[in-house]
Amino acid sequence: MDWALGLVSLLVFPGFALMIALSFLYEWYDRKLYAGIQMRRGPLYTGPMGILQPFADFIKLMSKEDLTPRHADRRVFNSVPVIMVALMLTALTMIPVTGASGLLSFSGDIVFAIVAMTFFCVLVFLAGFSSMSRYSIIGAERAVLQLLGFEIPLMLSMVGACIFSGSVTISGIVAQQSGLWNLIGPPLLGFAIFLIAAQAELERVPFDMPEAEQEIVAGWLTEYSGRKLALIRLARNLELIFIAGLAAALYLGGPLGPSTDALAPVLFPLYFIAKTLFVILLLAFMKSIFARVRIDQMVSFAWRYLIPLSLVQIMITLIWRAL
Amino acid sequence: MGLRNWALRKSPWILHFNTGSCNGCDIELVATLTPRYDIERFGMYLRGSPRHADILLVTGPVTRQVRDRIVRIYNQMPFPKSVVAIGSCCMSGGVFSNCGKGPCYNVYAGLDQLIPVNAYIPGCPPKPEAIIDGVAKLLESMKATKRKEGTPDEPAQ
Ligand code: SF4
Repeated sequence: MDWALGLVSLLVFPGFALMIALSFLYEWYDRKLYAGIQMRRGPLYTGPMGILQPFADFIKLMSKEDLTPRHADRRVFNSVPVIMVALMLTALTMIPVTGASGLLSFSGDIVFAIVAMTFFCVLVFLAGFSSMSRYSIIGAERAVLQLLGFEIPLMLSMVGACIFSGSVTISGIVAQQSGLWNLIGPPLLGFAIFLIAAQAELERVPFDMPEAEQEIVAGWLTEYSGRKLALIRLARNLELIFIAGLAAALYLGGPLGPSTDALAPVLFPLYFIAKTLFVILLLAFMKSIFARVRIDQMVSFAWRYLIPLSLVQIMITLIWRAL
Repeated sequence: MGLRNWALRKSPWILHFNTGSCNGCDIELVATLTPRYDIERFGMYLRGSPRHADILLVTGPVTRQVRDRIVRIYNQMPFPKSVVAIGSCCMSGGVFSNCGKGPCYNVYAGLDQLIPVNAYIPGCPPKPEAIIDGVAKLLESMKATKRKEGTPDEPAQ
């Protein structure tokens, strides 16, 4: 019966089904917040308060005609969306939802988390490059430029949390925070850097050059339509959960919180959802109060401010631990 | 089919194309996108790429110069798709329709000469409320009729 239980927890709770349902919920929450800050109402008529809007978008895209441009590299072009979803679902198994450790937990899983995010960028590049359209190639190049700028501060901020907790497993870092969150202490600076870099990683508004709608149509997404676009949107929503979950695990104590043994299976997922919603709230604020920066501003911001700051943050953490 | 039809009506992504408008209709359309009218309430989303769009909003008289482009953009959109003609010019040639005898030498007598049009929004220019109403009526009509799918229509001419 052990394997059956494992299969259920992988496929249903807290595995794939929960994550896909949450990805629709979080997209709705993000859009509602974004609309609220701009004094709009946001999705309103699709289900109660428009909560079914992302689901309707998904179903609509799934049922639309699926086009492949004649000059595209068919094999890469068609496989990238599927690999994106698979990669993000795999990475999400490492995020702790019901306890200190995720479904999969091994020594060095935080390295895998970094690899997953980098690989996602590589897939974005492949998607843009295989479309063989001007706009998508420009978008893909910008995505790689962004990767060079923001991947390093992202990693360094995660390293800061690892040093502070003295562990390279996500479960170890979460368990260490059962008393006091990492946020309350030197990794606070790391949290800020992580959020900024995550915004770039997710290609959200101040750093959405790879798909700048007003300049290059839709960037690397330009040629995607129908089913493939639906899968790419799903993968990006899953990446949003992944990054929010990672931020919660590294800085906000993961799903742990006050509870009793009997209530833990119910309360811990609720804590997880509350904490990730808080992270998305911060990300949505950032998205709505800044305008898109120029490419040169983005690169110089990353290299001249963010990377030195993340090194300072590691230094402070090391000194703190040495004391 | 019910679920699919529901999703189609609830998430119309729009694409705006200017075929030679005097900018009056464009300004009204841009006003429609502002927070005051907030068309995201209906799930509408302005997309830059024809590959992502469901509804093509066309403004302005269709000039001979733009014919190839509008037909190509229409063909680039995936099925099922709809076209809305905004403004008198786009519907019939408007003020350009009777310069002397018949339509102007450089303007078609309406968008439906080239591609099938599903809804017309009259006005010179139509108000943002009229544009929203027109698109909402188009979505309403999708509920009743089963929409035909098939090969793209050949442009007349
Ligand atoms: S309908 Fe009127 S406002 Fe619109 S393009 Fe024609 S002349 Fe301009």
